[in-house]
Amino acid sequence: MNQRSDKSSHCGSPEHAVHRRLFLQGSMASGAASVASFNGLFSIPAAAEQARQQGKKCILLWLCGAPSQFETWDPKPGTSTSGPFRAIPTNLPGTHVSQLMPRCATIMDKLAVIRSMKTEPSEHFQGIDVLTRGDQPRPPFTRPILGSAIAQQLGDLDSPVPQFVLLDPCPEGNEFKAFKSGNWAGWLGAEYGPVRAGGKYSIPNLGRLDSISELDHQDRETLRAFLSRKYENDRRSEAASSHNAAFQRVAGLMSCAPLFDLNKLPPADRERYGPGAFAQHALQARHLIENGSTFVMVANGMPWDNHVFQHEMHQMLVPELDNVLFQLITDLEDRGLLEDTLVIAMGEFGRTPWLNEARGRDHYPNAWSMAMSGAGIRGGVVHGATDKLGRNVVEGHTDNRQLFATIFRALGIQPDEEYDLPGLPTFRRVEDDAKAVEEVLL
Amino acid sequence: MCPAGKLLHTSMFFVCVWIAATSAQAQHVLVTIPGPSTTEQIDYYVARGWADREVDPATSCSDREFVRRLYLDLAGRVPTVQETDGFLGDQRDDKRQHLVDALLKSEDHVQHLTDVMDALLMGRTDEDKYAERAAHHWRSYLEEFVRQNRPWNEVAAEILLARPDNQSERGAVWYLYERKNNHQSIAESIAPFFFGLRIECAQCHDHMIVDEIKQSDYWGLVAFFNRGKNTKTKQGPRVVESAIGGFSEFADLTGSSYPNLLSFLGSAPLNEKRPAAGQDQQDLDTLYVSGKPSDAPRVPKFSRRQAFIEKVVTGNRRIALAMVNRVWAMLMGRGIVHPFDEMDSMHPPSHPDLLDQLTIEFINSGYQMRGLIRSIVRSRAYQLSSRQPSGVDDPASFAWYLERPLTAEQMARSVQLTVRGEFKNDAPLLQAFRQQFRDVLPDTFVAPVADALYLSNHPAFDRFIRDSDEPAHLRERVLQQPTHSKRAELLLNTLFHRPPATSEQKAITDFLEQRESNLGSAIDQAIWSMLTSAEFRLNH
Repeated sequence: MNQRSDKSSHCGSPEHAVHRRLFLQGSMASGAASVASFNGLFSIPAAAEQARQQGKKCILLWLCGAPSQFETWDPKPGTSTSGPFRAIPTNLPGTHVSQLMPRCATIMDKLAVIRSMKTEPSEHFQGIDVLTRGDQPRPPFTRPILGSAIAQQLGDLDSPVPQFVLLDPCPEGNEFKAFKSGNWAGWLGAEYGPVRAGGKYSIPNLGRLDSISELDHQDRETLRAFLSRKYENDRRSEAASSHNAAFQRVAGLMSCAPLFDLNKLPPADRERYGPGAFAQHALQARHLIENGSTFVMVANGMPWDNHVFQHEMHQMLVPELDNVLFQLITDLEDRGLLEDTLVIAMGEFGRTPWLNEARGRDHYPNAWSMAMSGAGIRGGVVHGATDKLGRNVVEGHTDNRQLFATIFRALGIQPDEEYDLPGLPTFRRVEDDAKAVEEVLL
Repeated sequence: MCPAGKLLHTSMFFVCVWIAATSAQAQHVLVTIPGPSTTEQIDYYVARGWADREVDPATSCSDREFVRRLYLDLAGRVPTVQETDGFLGDQRDDKRQHLVDALLKSEDHVQHLTDVMDALLMGRTDEDKYAERAAHHWRSYLEEFVRQNRPWNEVAAEILLARPDNQSERGAVWYLYERKNNHQSIAESIAPFFFGLRIECAQCHDHMIVDEIKQSDYWGLVAFFNRGKNTKTKQGPRVVESAIGGFSEFADLTGSSYPNLLSFLGSAPLNEKRPAAGQDQQDLDTLYVSGKPSDAPRVPKFSRRQAFIEKVVTGNRRIALAMVNRVWAMLMGRGIVHPFDEMDSMHPPSHPDLLDQLTIEFINSGYQMRGLIRSIVRSRAYQLSSRQPSGVDDPASFAWYLERPLTAEQMARSVQLTVRGEFKNDAPLLQAFRQQFRDVLPDTFVAPVADALYLSNHPAFDRFIRDSDEPAHLRERVLQQPTHSKRAELLLNTLFHRPPATSEQKAITDFLEQRESNLGSAIDQAIWSMLTSAEFRLNH
């Protein structure tokens, strides 16, 4: 006892670290998670400037809960694991997808699908952790989530528009809810965490009150900044620096308030994307990317975890995803943005080939699929394959590290670069020299 | 004190330390050798820590810094101009100690410490629940605990037993009652607050890194409370305890099952007969204490909660240890063990001997918080400047006073007091602030942009400043000043408790000069600028 140790305070699940915070913020007692999560995830700009590289951007459609590969990208028609849905041909000769994805079937030449994902964790929290950060946890160090890592590399921190946005209207989401309360930016620091919006998570207090003119609002902030900076500089105060950084962000955020207002989006676009929250926020993601955000993650709680009535649930969820992906990719292409914008659609693992007694599919990390399109990605490629029943990967085994190496490469970011973390062990963006899946890269 | 006297004193002190160290492992060993005061011991151990770390501490804080800091830490608000001037003009050598004693006796201290204890024991909540806490006497119960300086071990036992036998104890029920029969939530709250340990990890498995926290501790602690059921009685809300039930098994990661024996932190499992699988227990009257008034809830002859108090709480050094570390954290900005409620083998104390000694003294004092608080704020470390000395980085050295944000309540009282000259603890502003600024004793301070947006654009704060338009309020008093320069002085003196620097005076003067046509509104904006600056927002 009493020996200094660099080991973790807890058992490695970041869930534990957030407990007190949740408790103090009252969300354990009263379910007031909206405020808690919002405060916890809101970012602060860093003083440091990052050169903007190449202007690449990324939208992650985070299919939390984990969709079934059989009802999406890797149908097994006519087998015992297929389920009730057919496979349909696509505009890529010889490649079939589930009949639930007729629209994506017409743009398979723009998509790269990996059918050979094979990862470790089979529970949601651990799966979300590994598939959003790219690696297994190594407590007490917290690896930044994909959006933080990319916003730090590609983002324009001087922009008033938040560089990493999480659009997730659903306050719930089981393990994802707990995950959302955790430390997303990890060792990069809170300034690289996401701004959370969507649904009831509209950003409060963004509008100037009528009681003060725009000029007075600016001027009093100038006076505040002068007095507060003087205090900060006189004593090199970190607390004051954080306080002032938060205020420095106010004017910029206020100026981009309309970006977060769904009602300001063109009605025709809203209709095309469809009525669901996920669809509407995917449209908002496009809007944010068009207006200067670097990374937008779209989620909707954890709807894909269909242990019960999997076919019925997927019959609702997959067509929405199909349309959203189609609209998003074609919109970005029409606007000339697809070349620079990587679109990713994935969850934290796949579903079992067999059905359980509740006609659900359970968690299955051994063989699953995901899809990408846009920046740096070669369209019309299907990488890897599973066996006849979809039980195992038989070709092109891809794990979380290789996937992340591929994503970083597609965005022009060097995967094996070391993080600059004085006093910490050596961490790389992707560990162990994992190789990108060259086949899907341009 | 003459050098010879000092030497003698110091050698006495080492005897005392030696005894303390050797007795630290045994419970209930009280060291009663007369020796240096607790404050002198704090000074000794913290200074030894500076020597060990080879750091030079910051200089002592000025009287001006001290008076603002102490009011915030003890009275939960900034001082008025009169209070500041009164302290600065006090010519007594020991005026700091006089101020400490005066503030510890004040009602403001009761309110402030109650706010903090409530937030840490119960968590932040919505206004309806705050109203319930007051209506069911929880708030007044905590206030009396502070006001009467009641022994913490007694209060802890009352809260955990939740079986009041007189009116003054009835509020104690609310700690368990508000958790609405959620026995895991009860256990997860008891462990950190009363024992200084976080055990959430151990719900599913033995703690993987902290060896002493087992899965059996988690489920054992749950079992001590899982026969409780919220019941509305004629006496008010009660957590009625059943004499049967509450037996279950927990499974570890391998799938093996274990009974949830009544045990916590290595206490021997209590011998309680477990029913065989499938056997129904009869909830017989004979299992309950007879002779209670007919409308009072039954009390089981074997009460698990009672057993918890007797076998686990009473005499457990951790009850004192956790409180000492928490009080230290409240006053010093971080615990001797940090985070303050993770006092396990993975979080060694920065000053182990000091923590041991303070714990012994706390027990010796009869678990009185006020004496502990007094000793800490009288220490040299507490009275250091908040300017971090160059070349010193480790906050655990306590080589400078660690800046911290005001809590919602400190902020709300201080805003009211400076802007209107008086404050109310039930003011709408306080209620609004505690819904926004929810953190209390954060492990690290990261200012949320949401807070900055709130202070910039929320109508409640805006309206408070604009509506402060009476003659006694700051705006009107500033308006009455003959010159802008005088106005700047009054603003700085009131809000920052110091005269303005030349550059500040010029900035405010310029700001007002450009707004002659609507000076009242301009002064409001200047007041806003100061209330939202780091110097006001932080305790330093």
